[in-house]
Amino acid sequence: MAELTLRAVRKSYGTVDIIHGVDLDIADGEFVVFVGPSGCGKSTLLRMIAGLEDITSGEISIGGRVVNDVEAAERGIAMVFQTYALYPHMTVRENLSFGLRMNGNPRADTDRRVARAAEILRIDALMDRRPKALSGGQRQRVAIGRAIVREPEVFLFDEPLSNLDAELRVQMRVEISRLHSELGTTMIYVTHDQTEAMTLADRIVVLRAGRVEQVGRPLELYGNPTNQFVAGFIGSPRMNFLAAETIGTIGGGTRFRLVNQGGAVIVLPLDRPPAPGEAAVIGIRPEHVAPAGAGDCDLPLTLDVAEHLGSTSYLYANTQAGEPVVVQAAASDGARAGERIAVSIPAAQALAFDAQGERLR
Amino acid sequence: MRRRNITAYGFLAPYLLIFAAFWVWPIIYSFWLSFLFTRRQPWTFNPNTTWGRLVEDPAFWNALKNTLVILVVQVPIMIALATVLAVLLNSTLLRARGLMRFAFFAPVVVGEVAYAAVFRLIFSEDLGFVNKALAAIGLPEVAWFSSPTAAMALIIMAVTWRWAGYNAIIILSGLQSIPDDVYEAATLDRVSPVRQFFFITLPLLKPVILFCVVLSVIGTMQLFAEPFLITNEGGPGSATETLGLFLYLQGFRVLNFGYASAVAYTIAALAVLISLLNMWAGRERA
Amino acid sequence: MTTLPAAAPLRSRSRARSRLWRAILLHAVMVPLALLWLLPLWLMFVFATMPDQGIFSPGINLLPQDRFMENVRALEAETGFLRTFVNSVLVALVYTALSVLLTSMAGWALVRYRFWGKGLVLAIILGTLTLPYFVVVIPQYILVARDLGLTNTWFALIVPPLFNSLGVLFMRQSFSMMPQELFDAARVEGVKEWQIFTRVALPMAKPTLAALSIILFLASWNNYLWPLLVATQSHMMTAPVALGSLIGLTRVSWGAIMAGAVLLTAPMLLVFVFLQRWFMSGITAGAVK
Repeated sequence: MAELTLRAVRKSYGTVDIIHGVDLDIADGEFVVFVGPSGCGKSTLLRMIAGLEDITSGEISIGGRVVNDVEAAERGIAMVFQTYALYPHMTVRENLSFGLRMNGNPRADTDRRVARAAEILRIDALMDRRPKALSGGQRQRVAIGRAIVREPEVFLFDEPLSNLDAELRVQMRVEISRLHSELGTTMIYVTHDQTEAMTLADRIVVLRAGRVEQVGRPLELYGNPTNQFVAGFIGSPRMNFLAAETIGTIGGGTRFRLVNQGGAVIVLPLDRPPAPGEAAVIGIRPEHVAPAGAGDCDLPLTLDVAEHLGSTSYLYANTQAGEPVVVQAAASDGARAGERIAVSIPAAQALAFDAQGERLR
Repeated sequence: MRRRNITAYGFLAPYLLIFAAFWVWPIIYSFWLSFLFTRRQPWTFNPNTTWGRLVEDPAFWNALKNTLVILVVQVPIMIALATVLAVLLNSTLLRARGLMRFAFFAPVVVGEVAYAAVFRLIFSEDLGFVNKALAAIGLPEVAWFSSPTAAMALIIMAVTWRWAGYNAIIILSGLQSIPDDVYEAATLDRVSPVRQFFFITLPLLKPVILFCVVLSVIGTMQLFAEPFLITNEGGPGSATETLGLFLYLQGFRVLNFGYASAVAYTIAALAVLISLLNMWAGRERA
Repeated sequence: MTTLPAAAPLRSRSRARSRLWRAILLHAVMVPLALLWLLPLWLMFVFATMPDQGIFSPGINLLPQDRFMENVRALEAETGFLRTFVNSVLVALVYTALSVLLTSMAGWALVRYRFWGKGLVLAIILGTLTLPYFVVVIPQYILVARDLGLTNTWFALIVPPLFNSLGVLFMRQSFSMMPQELFDAARVEGVKEWQIFTRVALPMAKPTLAALSIILFLASWNNYLWPLLVATQSHMMTAPVALGSLIGLTRVSWGAIMAGAVLLTAPMLLVFVFLQRWFMSGITAGAVK
């Protein structure tokens, strides 16, 4: 069993806190993705789990055992690094077996493990090459293979795909997914790319500035973010945010005036409405912006740039007061820059946040 | 993690041990020594015989003067030559570049003793190669070892021959780290090659040249083997006796360790002082 | 429109001509200067093949003769030069191996670990870089020769000069340019720190190790002052010390001394010619910090 628990885990360099008390439970066999912008502490947190960084306070346990003072190698983890970290002076075979050889693992067992990893990753043909002679994707496979031969209880991935080109990234994403279902091992995966997070994760942990913003299944985060940061971080293109002001309640709904919209008003059903006059932010995803008349709050926009991708089009537009709004529209509208377009926001899809970015419900 | 701390000290230990035994201890001990009268056992505390003597010892002042002359004459000549050499060796117009490099860089691998022997031989006053060559082109022969000025010139020539290439290698590496597009841009702006040298190359090379100057200053302050071997222990008389040679003679010929230690500290202080002066003179102006 | 195509070839022709003039000027300076610079080395080789009557004959003689072996034999008879040559090789080899090991271990510690006193160690190394060796030579001599009584031992020849700051800086730079994730990867795999150093870091630092080894070997090979102080008996002398002791003695022929100079210099010239790339990067190591 390799469930993983973080209790009030903190990290600071001198007086600077990098991680501010993280609590997290990861179940055995779960695929968890840490996602967040660069500098949010996600890699540091992963390296603390790996045993490569000291834990300032708190407790990390793997499989029920507190590992704070356990050396990295004894934690039952294996790690795949962003730069692959392959030993340049060793062949693929030597790279895969190096750790086992250095620890006096019986030769037959080492060979068996290496052969199995090579088979899983289909790198048998590359075994006698050096990393320099491999493509980026092949190197990444070898790096994963080196993790597999350790037969770890937990796999740690530190932005493993960020050095690959777009096409390979998609391909490797699928392979990592397959690997997870084949091995059934707990995996923790760090990325700044929300698409990777959405496609790979059983559960996503969104981090910002050393704090956990939200933990949840991918669609939960997409549909029900707890704050403006998560709402903006998950989903591509990102959610539109429109400045608003609370006017009051009407029936079961709260009335908001879109301040950069002249008189536009939208009514959202909230259990705990803010006081009238309070500033708020209304969020709507590009894919939820409806054609004029189809929603509950019409907006006149001026088109700035239109990207036609074939299946869909992204319209980058501005409100009268210059607030940017991105609209996902059906294919080839033929809309051109400078054109005026009208759209509408469906209240059912819109989210409201308070001035601090917390979700209003 | 404390364990990793210990690992770090483990890796450093042998190095630091050597450092402590053969540098830290000597530096401290040497300072103490510089206050001791060491001509007679037991050694006694008597700074008058070391620091006191230093200020009024004409032999010391002579060695200091000789060292400063070399510093003021030889170092600028050599650094200028090395800079020009580096620039010319870097020119794409130059043919037989490998051979050229060999000619100027080969002295770098030649040991002090070997080259001192060669210079002593070819500058021999009677039937030495250089005097024969001078005579062949109608110039008067030079008394390289009996004229104080000529002997000093000989030392300067020898040191320049040995070290110009060394400095040129360093400056050349600095030169090669200047991006080509700077020169391409200057060429497009119709800046002549000579002006490019003075207004682009030299300013960009300043840190490297400064580094060479500092190295050369430290080297000159310790100049020993050349006057010891070429001009026969600083001859004629003590016309080429340098601080380094003076220290050697006081320390290891007369075995006056206390006095020699005071000289050693003076050499170190001067080296640091002159290096700092150089760095101050060459500092980046904001 | 019409003048442009006509002007262009004219322009490029004049530019080609100015290039030619510049090339001629360049070689007019460099060729004589290079020959002048080569002259002392050339004369060293030539005189090593001559009897003294040849060296000091009234005419100028620039071509080698056939007396080299005789000169070497005279040199051997005078000092037992062969023995000192072997001493030099042994000292330089052991010195280089030890110094490379010590400095690369120290450089590694400075890159790989955070530890108390790291700043101080680094400051010391940078500080001693500009400290003249002459400050320590007297007490070093007193310590080794008088207090420890180690004159004429291998220890005295090899160990005291081991400390050098340039090597540490050089190795530190080399290690710090390696992706640190490599070492983290090895650590996660349970590779011991010493093994990470010897099996991962050192093999990757081969070019730097080569450059550093050449520089250290050369420094030891040519070292004169320290061996002069601690090797007083001829059987423990290094070759430069033995050769230096002959300079100025009238009973030794200059041809024999030149033969010794050639024997000292030729191996290093070969190193320079064949390992030039590493040699250059070793020389410039200090400047690039």
